[in-house]
Amino acid sequence: MTKNPAPRSSSPRTMAEVDRRDPATWLLAGGTDLLVRRRAGLHQGPVTDVSRLRDAPEPVRETPGGILRLSALAPLSVLAAELGDRLPALVAAIACFASGQIRNRATLGGNLANASPAADTVPPLVAYGAVVGLRGPAGTHEVPVAEFATGPGRTCLAPGEWIEAVEVPPPPGIDTGSPETAADAGAEDRSGSTGVVARSGFRKVAGRRALAISVVSLAWAWAEGPGGALRDVRLAAGAVAPVVVRCPGAEAVLEGRVPDRDVIAKAVEALDGDISPISDLRASAAYRRRALKGALVEALTRRIS
Amino acid sequence: MKVNGVAVTPPDPDARLLDYLRDDLGLTGAKEGCGMGECGSCTVLLDGTPVCSCLMLVRQAEDAEVTTVEGLPRTAVQDAFVEGQAVQCGFCIAGMVVSASALLAAHPDPSDEQIRTALEGNLCRCTGYGSIVRAVRKAAAS
Repeated sequence: MTKNPAPRSSSPRTMAEVDRRDPATWLLAGGTDLLVRRRAGLHQGPVTDVSRLRDAPEPVRETPGGILRLSALAPLSVLAAELGDRLPALVAAIACFASGQIRNRATLGGNLANASPAADTVPPLVAYGAVVGLRGPAGTHEVPVAEFATGPGRTCLAPGEWIEAVEVPPPPGIDTGSPETAADAGAEDRSGSTGVVARSGFRKVAGRRALAISVVSLAWAWAEGPGGALRDVRLAAGAVAPVVVRCPGAEAVLEGRVPDRDVIAKAVEALDGDISPISDLRASAAYRRRALKGALVEALTRRIS
Repeated sequence: MKVNGVAVTPPDPDARLLDYLRDDLGLTGAKEGCGMGECGSCTVLLDGTPVCSCLMLVRQAEDAEVTTVEGLPRTAVQDAFVEGQAVQCGFCIAGMVVSASALLAAHPDPSDEQIRTALEGNLCRCTGYGSIVRAVRKAAAS
């Protein structure tokens, strides 16, 4: 058996070169996680730098079907600026992601690949039903963001595979035929001409506003009918389970209902069955349950106040 | 790569940008506080954008213009920090000045909220931040 020469770090300029890299090398994009691990001695060895690809996907591209294709390689600050009033839950998550310096380097692909249960960009992507676009030696394929992380620090990436883009379908309530925008000050809403309003947002509970890992996070997306009833309710919670999870129990309570006091109380109660938080250095399991419930109450009561 | 306007050829593309700036070029303004992107003492401008130089390899900046605090023009920002006693031990200040300069380049008349957001990635263990925010506000007004 011949031994291959030891792989060396490289800075390829095309995606095809990245496909052909030695799968033993780690990909280095923004570096805001990997270089921390290297400094701590948790990672050694060569890297393939994907931060300077000439043919990287453009940061945000809107397809004719209303799908937004987000580059996995663009800095989060660039993504947020390009999104503007689109995908408000993701834009809100980026706004409280680490710090300006980190947002200027960190990428969506890196946040997904790091597979932290507390990753802040993941709950919005799960709530929006986004799909990860993977590529590698065997070609391209897609995996729902909700299925991409398989545990803390673990993903379904096959050897040599890497994340090229994330595709986000139109959020609930967005009329793709005529995307008239009527965003309010909170940049929460886009309404079509049908009286249906698209609502989505993100709430993070953490030790401080910047540079803090989420104790819990909640992203929500739903369509609100003219009478206030919610449809296509999606709730995605971070740091309350081994991976970011949808909350089917609470979603079922809210689906088709106007979120009055009783409905909110029932949704909050149902949330308990949707999550399995642990106690760790950031918070106790009991605190995480209460904080997530509070976040859901906030998300719902802002609508009926 | 250009550093403070001068073309340079780094010997080791796999060194951290911070180590290259400090150890090879002698530009010791940027400092290693935490080494993990939390303190901002190593902040430099990469093509005008603030980044942590401890979280980049040299190879990632090979096409870029890097500006350290030494390469910033002496401006109202530095003067306001000195006059406003916004410097105590000084360890964080190079990063603070770099971040504040980037803010004022993009927003010449920032709100206090914008100032605090622009500096949220820079920690100071001495001043309590009040004097720093006032210094940036004064620099913007001057």
